[in-house]
Amino acid sequence: MVAADGASRVLAAHQPVTIELAAAETPRRRGAALAAVLPGCPGPVAVDLALAAAAAAELAYGLRLRAYRPLQYRGTPDDEDLALPQRVIVLTDDPMAAQRLFARHDAVASGVLLARDLVAAPGNILGPSDLVEQARRLAPLGVGLKLVDPTEHGLNLLAAVGQASRRRPVLAELHWKGGADGDKPLVLVGKGITFDSGGLSLKPAEHMEEMKGDMGGAAAVIGALRAIAGRKAAVNVVGVLAIAENMPGAGALRPGDVIRSYRGLTVEVVDTDAEGRLVLADALAWACATLRPRAIVDAATLTGAVVRVLGRHHAGLYSNRDSLAARLLKLGLAEDEALWRLPLSASCDDDFRSDIADWKNCGWGKVPDNDDAARFLQHFVAPAVPWAHLDIAGTAEADEDHLFGPKGATGFAVRLFDALAGG
Amino acid sequence: MKISFAKPHLPAEDAVIVGVLENKVFTPTAQALDDLAAGGIKRAMDASKFTGKKDQVLTVLAPPGTELKRVVLVGLGKAEAIDAQAAQSFGGTGLAQVLSSGDSVAAIAIDAVAGLKISDADFAANAAFGAKLRSYRFDKYFTKEKKEDKPSVKKLAVLCAAAGAKAAFAPLDAIAEGVFVTRDVVSEPANVIYPETLAEECKKLGALGVEVEILGEKQMKKLGMGSLLGVGQGSDRESQLVIMRWNGAKDKDTAPVAFVGKGVCFDSGGISIKPAGGMEDMKWDMAGAGAVIGAMKALAGRKAKANVVGIVGLVENMPSGNAQRPGDVVTSMSGQTIEVINTDAEGRLVLADALWYAKETYKPKAMIDLATLTGAIIISLGGEYAGLFSNDDKLAERLTQAGKSVGEALWRLPMGDAYDKQIKSDIADMKNVGGREGGSITAAQFLKRFVGDVAWAHLDIAGTAWSKKDTAICAKGATAFGVRLLDKLVADHYED
Repeated sequence: MVAADGASRVLAAHQPVTIELAAAETPRRRGAALAAVLPGCPGPVAVDLALAAAAAAELAYGLRLRAYRPLQYRGTPDDEDLALPQRVIVLTDDPMAAQRLFARHDAVASGVLLARDLVAAPGNILGPSDLVEQARRLAPLGVGLKLVDPTEHGLNLLAAVGQASRRRPVLAELHWKGGADGDKPLVLVGKGITFDSGGLSLKPAEHMEEMKGDMGGAAAVIGALRAIAGRKAAVNVVGVLAIAENMPGAGALRPGDVIRSYRGLTVEVVDTDAEGRLVLADALAWACATLRPRAIVDAATLTGAVVRVLGRHHAGLYSNRDSLAARLLKLGLAEDEALWRLPLSASCDDDFRSDIADWKNCGWGKVPDNDDAARFLQHFVAPAVPWAHLDIAGTAEADEDHLFGPKGATGFAVRLFDALAGG
Repeated sequence: MKISFAKPHLPAEDAVIVGVLENKVFTPTAQALDDLAAGGIKRAMDASKFTGKKDQVLTVLAPPGTELKRVVLVGLGKAEAIDAQAAQSFGGTGLAQVLSSGDSVAAIAIDAVAGLKISDADFAANAAFGAKLRSYRFDKYFTKEKKEDKPSVKKLAVLCAAAGAKAAFAPLDAIAEGVFVTRDVVSEPANVIYPETLAEECKKLGALGVEVEILGEKQMKKLGMGSLLGVGQGSDRESQLVIMRWNGAKDKDTAPVAFVGKGVCFDSGGISIKPAGGMEDMKWDMAGAGAVIGAMKALAGRKAKANVVGIVGLVENMPSGNAQRPGDVVTSMSGQTIEVINTDAEGRLVLADALWYAKETYKPKAMIDLATLTGAIIISLGGEYAGLFSNDDKLAERLTQAGKSVGEALWRLPMGDAYDKQIKSDIADMKNVGGREGGSITAAQFLKRFVGDVAWAHLDIAGTAWSKKDTAICAKGATAFGVRLLDKLVADHYED
């Protein structure tokens, strides 16, 4: 249980492991790198890198994020997984300060891990009401929950997407009031399609199971509220979840249907599998109209096109304000949740002009669907509100183990949202 | 169409194009014509939706009090927003209204308007430039076109009081000639333009003082260009590498800027053959090379005071008994080996050797390649932006600004080691595709392995090289995207 600087060494009882911790890396990254080699060390493990309190807390934070094990739904645990040490002790000259700092990080880490669990949960286990239940569980931390019935309040796009499922769609508001009473809240909006079959525009069978993760945006918002409330941030934040299950059925939304949105704009639904932008359109308009936001940021596993464009190492960022975009880009780098800005261009409107309604929900053929979807959303946001949209379809899940976690759900955007909220 | 400059007067023949500022404010010539017509033009305007917003048009036929056949009102928008691009748009939009009207003579009135972002002479020159660009039409293969469908305007007079308009137009005229040669070679079908005939087109630049050198397959083999040659080996047409040098700088020995173009004269996909639908578009898979040729013509035509080298790798990608196979490993000129997973990801193979050759031979101070490289760029940025990838922030910024100022917009996309990993091969130094995810980025990562430390940028123009609709300064078809951008880059940063 000795460690030195540079090429450091963690000694476990049976299994000496040499690992390289590059000095240039941040303490958080070094902690994560460390966690990757801990399985099989029965522990306890001590880490002595002569760290100051802040760095020690960061290292522990990285370790906590990386040591996550995905939920297993099998009777016996996977015997290939080596046990993690019960305790890891990070040595520092000021343990009290480090502990205090780590408590804040730990709250955020809990949010990240919660988001990962939610994304990994299958569609039968986590339906619309179950997702609401997860939000309700934040009540002990002081997070208020308000449910809005979409049919009663004119959120017709959200209602339409969920209309074929036996499980009713809902809009959920999560309120954290850590700031002064009159302060306008930061509003975080998440796409929460608990399962996306595509509806009547049914997806091909191959890989459809991945669509249990189509609520990655909502999971990130719940995780962010968990983080913000957990560390008792002195800010006002509202989370808005647009929750529905997109299914085919006797009463399903049909291609060609025209729906009047909450904002009043009519939308011709030409593809029922472009449903995320529909539920978000209502949620964004609702947030603008009822929540007095100082800024809105939404996160959504919105388009396959963004994965074609940016792959899995950047999420797409769209914004109607350069300053908000710059802030998010900077925070993304700092939190190792990298974003890349893409254009919100008016010329996209030509792709989704409808012959019968104000807009149709997507263009067919060789159109930039990621850009089109973002531009579509912009029509539902009040121009006076600073707004950003994160297309996290490529980053919400990782196809292999990565620095801060194993293959699978990443909890992407929780750390970014938490940092943006500040306080 | 012949363009001439003249002092302001009220033309008496055929068509006149005049500007109207926002909120129906007539420019002096428009006012003079309205006076002649005893208010008839204003009445026509008031009866329409025309208000003078930018690029609105209204044609008034046979205005009373004149012998004119038509007066075309073109919206100029707000005076303080009029820059070179707006002036080009004014000229192009106006000309489009009269081009096939049956009139053979047209005049465009450039009135002195207070508060413009550019001088009156530049306003006139750019309006003429826009009109000239818009006049282009690739119609040589129509043998039975009706007379009324053909362009009728033979002469365009630009009426302007400012001295220097004609002089300001001269370099723009040269740039337009560059644009036209690009549009020509991109529009030509692949049975007409193939590596050797495209090399012949390059040779014609010799008349402007460009030194042209052509390497055939034998010479390329000697240089070890296995990557480029592999792509062309399935075709009966011989692959070519053409080097065009313009040494316009005072010091002929200063390092040049290098432009490198992908010239796949027809891309069937090879053994990894493309689906039949839309394959005819692949005649313009040499649009990168086309843009480089056009840019060289523009620079030489206006005698740019810079050293520039343009290099185009010209091949035809065909399936055949001798074609490259998926799985083949080729050795590039750089010595790096490449496993060819997909023979339809051939552009990067051509560029790999062309970039390396450019870097080794010319040690350029900056190197920019243009290529219709990936379909993925079309579904990421559409036709609005070309993708920009670079290892140098300064060069990327310069290109972005140049693009913005000429209306050829670029959008930068990310690069990085995480993407580079996607092109790891099990058998060679790299493979030529990195999967569906981030496809345009992994293509750029591939190219980056062939540029060494040179400041380099890659423009993926697959979405912007061809337009399905008319714009103010370009009829649908080949856009020559990149020519004006490269010219502007040189003008702003690399001239003496």
